[in-house]
Amino acid sequence: MRMIKKNSIFYVMMFPVIIYFALFAYYPLVKGLQTSFQDYKLMGERPYIGFDNYNQVLHDPSFWDALWNTLYIGGGILIFGFIAPLILALSLNEVMKSWFKKTAQLVLYVPHLLSWVVIGGIFIFLLSPDSGLVNLLLIKIFGIQPINFMAEETWARMIMIGSAVWKDMGYNCILFLAGIAGISPTLYEAARMDEATRWQQVHYVTLPQLMNTMKVILLLNTLGIFRIFDQIFVMRNPAIASKVDVLMVYTFQKGIMEIRIGPAAAASFFVVLFTLLLTSVVRKMTRFDEV
Amino acid sequence: MDIERLERRGWRNRTFDVLNAAFLILLMLTMIIPFANVVALAFSSGMASMKPEIILFPKDFSIEGFSTVWNSLDLRRPFMNSVIVTVSGTILHVLLSSLAGFVLIQPHLPGKKFMISFVLLTMMIPQDAIMIPLYLVNKDLHLINTLSSLVLSGMISGFSILLMRNFFLSVPYEMCESAQIDGLGMFRIFTTIYMRLAKTGVATIMLFEFVSRWNMLSAPVLFINDSSKITLQVALKSMITDASATSSNLLITTNVRMAGILISIIPLLAVYPFIQRYFMKGLMLGANKE
Amino acid sequence: MSKKNVAVSLILAGTVLLSACGSNNDTSSSPATPESAAPTESTAGMKLEILSGNVGGKTPEGNTKFAQAISDKTGLDVTLDKPASDYDQKVLTALSSGAKYDLIEVSDLAKLDAFFNQGVVTDLTDFVQSSKVLSDPAVIPTGEWDQLKGPDGKIYGVFSKFQGATMPIVRKDWLNKLNLQEPKTLDELYTILKAFKEEDPDGNGQADTYGLSTSGLYDIQGIMSSAGLKYRYVMEDGKRTIPYATDAAIPMYEWFAKLVKEGIMDPNFITNDTAKMRNLFLTDRVGMVTYWDAWVGMFNNLKKQEDANTAFQAAGMVSLEAADGTIIMRRGDPDFWIIPANAPHPEAAKKFLEFWNTEDGIILGSLGVQDLDYIVDSNGYSLTETGKEANMDHGVPYWYNSTVKPLFPALPGVEEAMALSKQYATLELSLSTWPDAEKIVTNYALKAMAGQMPAKDAVEQMQKELKAANLID
Repeated sequence: MRMIKKNSIFYVMMFPVIIYFALFAYYPLVKGLQTSFQDYKLMGERPYIGFDNYNQVLHDPSFWDALWNTLYIGGGILIFGFIAPLILALSLNEVMKSWFKKTAQLVLYVPHLLSWVVIGGIFIFLLSPDSGLVNLLLIKIFGIQPINFMAEETWARMIMIGSAVWKDMGYNCILFLAGIAGISPTLYEAARMDEATRWQQVHYVTLPQLMNTMKVILLLNTLGIFRIFDQIFVMRNPAIASKVDVLMVYTFQKGIMEIRIGPAAAASFFVVLFTLLLTSVVRKMTRFDEV
Repeated sequence: MDIERLERRGWRNRTFDVLNAAFLILLMLTMIIPFANVVALAFSSGMASMKPEIILFPKDFSIEGFSTVWNSLDLRRPFMNSVIVTVSGTILHVLLSSLAGFVLIQPHLPGKKFMISFVLLTMMIPQDAIMIPLYLVNKDLHLINTLSSLVLSGMISGFSILLMRNFFLSVPYEMCESAQIDGLGMFRIFTTIYMRLAKTGVATIMLFEFVSRWNMLSAPVLFINDSSKITLQVALKSMITDASATSSNLLITTNVRMAGILISIIPLLAVYPFIQRYFMKGLMLGANKE
Repeated sequence: MSKKNVAVSLILAGTVLLSACGSNNDTSSSPATPESAAPTESTAGMKLEILSGNVGGKTPEGNTKFAQAISDKTGLDVTLDKPASDYDQKVLTALSSGAKYDLIEVSDLAKLDAFFNQGVVTDLTDFVQSSKVLSDPAVIPTGEWDQLKGPDGKIYGVFSKFQGATMPIVRKDWLNKLNLQEPKTLDELYTILKAFKEEDPDGNGQADTYGLSTSGLYDIQGIMSSAGLKYRYVMEDGKRTIPYATDAAIPMYEWFAKLVKEGIMDPNFITNDTAKMRNLFLTDRVGMVTYWDAWVGMFNNLKKQEDANTAFQAAGMVSLEAADGTIIMRRGDPDFWIIPANAPHPEAAKKFLEFWNTEDGIILGSLGVQDLDYIVDSNGYSLTETGKEANMDHGVPYWYNSTVKPLFPALPGVEEAMALSKQYATLELSLSTWPDAEKIVTNYALKAMAGQMPAKDAVEQMQKELKAANLID
């Protein structure tokens, strides 16, 4: 009790957050959960039907395809979307010239400002078999037949992963840079006293000091992998759909396009469940709570 | 250390610098190309902008795309709305998320783990699943057709809370303790010590939030009907959406679409250097070596 | 540890919120009772709330003016919500959250089907049949109403515009230049497309042209017609069949694969959106596309605006004839209004529906708002700059009402194209299982066309998967 009283100021500080989330996250969530157990019609009676919606979803093969696609593409984005910005941040951090650093940061951050509609369109254009830059280069350098990247299943997932990593690389790199900025300069001074090379400084100072930031980013990215939507929606086409349609595309199609709100809600709750499981694993593995 | 080794190291350093710069420049090129493509298309004439050959340079240079957008849309009002929503929303977001982040670094705070879980779980909710109930909440609070609904939408996020918590963790906790001994209240400690020392973090969150708020599209589409309350993104979108799915007669040429996109991101590019100053300062401190 | 925490948090959150839940008035889940509009003589001053996807101004302010124009002409107090994007989401959210609209614009029949099953639409049969305007066959041909009937045979919507058809659109000037005739058979078509590819029809000395470009599968209807295959479902003896997934489709896919292999077909046909396909056509890169009839006029007009002396001439073409003489063309789903069951002012909505199909309504829906989009002076009607940009399309580029004549001459080529649509085009049968079936059909069809797998195997796979998922009988 005394503990609680002593800490009361913290609960006061947390109060608006709790209220906000209760109202704008948990209440809608519970309502959504309710929907998933209803034969949800747009108007009129909405009788409860137990687990029918869940059953329907579980027996839909395209749901399982979508789950597997999500894990594949999301997993790829999780791993490479973590490594690439880290390397980029380390590399930027080694740049001494302030103007170059500034320009590089600005430029690297531009793709994030453009929506997937624009970026997706440009990717499709760059990868096109007849006029795309990539194929032109491949033909010139290797003299091979043009590859129809966007239409072949073998490439589809890689392209999704690659373009997602590329688009947000500069942006996520800002997080690492901010983390690096928080490292005490004295540590580097000490390292230099010991005549540590630049690589050694990275290895023995930057990376260990960045551990917490890395954990947070890993956790945050994990939460994101089930939510991929815009990108796939823009870049998919029927020839590769079965390899790239992710869970959110599935729920969009069920809910918004086919107006089957009950099954769509059920599918969404699978998404919540999977995220929960995966996050718990990552949280445990990174010992997030012990930070 | 002998001279030879030093020289070797210096030479290796220079090679590394060159390679590193080359790597960055190459990467930057891949990012400049799409942007240049957008710019080139925006500054081409309507017909030319539909030809596939435009990559880096405009063809048939013209500002027709911009003038079309400019003449058909009165952008002042939507622009002001966007500024209001973005600025007030970002400030509230950063403040409240930081506050929560600050609470979550307190050691031995009963219920902390619960609160972390409470925050984490909010990030797992797919927006699609709660779109309808969320609309109902806004409706019941009489927020439909108000800018407040847009400020409130995403006013606090688990993402920012956890990031701020991380930034605050890098501030030695002893500072908090000693300030307490000096008789400072927790709120003062938060504002004067933590917010100041984690300036880089604050700037980062601010930048992230600013960008996503500025680009926000689905909330205003769902919550706002009144044309005097729409945001810039919605106004531009209303103009550049091409109803090609039906037998509509409407043709929006590529240059108009690209001009719209450029207009919408120029404010972001303009704001960036101001925010960048903050983390450059931090970066220079952290990386000032050799 | 963390798992336990998550569970605890879930339970706690649940209990906290269930209490909030209980007190929440469940207006959304109780059957919506329309405030029965008193049968007053006059609807003047009555409110009318419209949710539209295509109908309205082109900009937010334009939209406000558009709503004002409806108010002025109908005497109603009109609000018009036209979302800038995500229209489907907006409709869904509005409907299920109990937001009240008097009219909602819908552009596909699958939606009408879903709305019917979910209690959204109201029966308009009596209204349509007793309405002087709407029951007049000169305003809307009687047979057309069948499109908007529910499974129970009642009418649930009122047309918003005339919807055309898609057809092969060919570069007539290229045909003339190469001394070729409009193709009637698959072989003739092949010869022509090959000539478009190889004989430098644009005369720039480079082999940079394609014979054919498409976007998506329904665009190839004009060619699949030569094997008598109709897209989507066809009912045969009460059984669901998908012609594109039958053995008869194999030679067709092989034909396309040949085009792709020989470089006659635009290799981007899989990733093309319609805009890209149109742009290729407009920029002399391809000799034939399949698209809406209305666009024949648009294509010609755009090129003429660019260069008054252009040789460019696009022409709509009838689908290839099957061995038994049938010609299959694809009619687009109608664009129509529904009155939702919870509409507060259905009488006002009905007044609007009549107005919308009369001359004043049609002028508003096509040209737009007077003094903003067009002006009327001693010389008659003329379009303003704003009006020109809107291309005489404020939701109604073409209409049914034959008593209302267009105020401006039709764009070149469009009348001929529309005549073909009216003669041959039929709706596709879209059952509720179609979205699932479509994924399978398009996936393998495109693979076969692209030559990624033999057409025979592709069709076999289609059949296997469609059967397994119980999507065909």
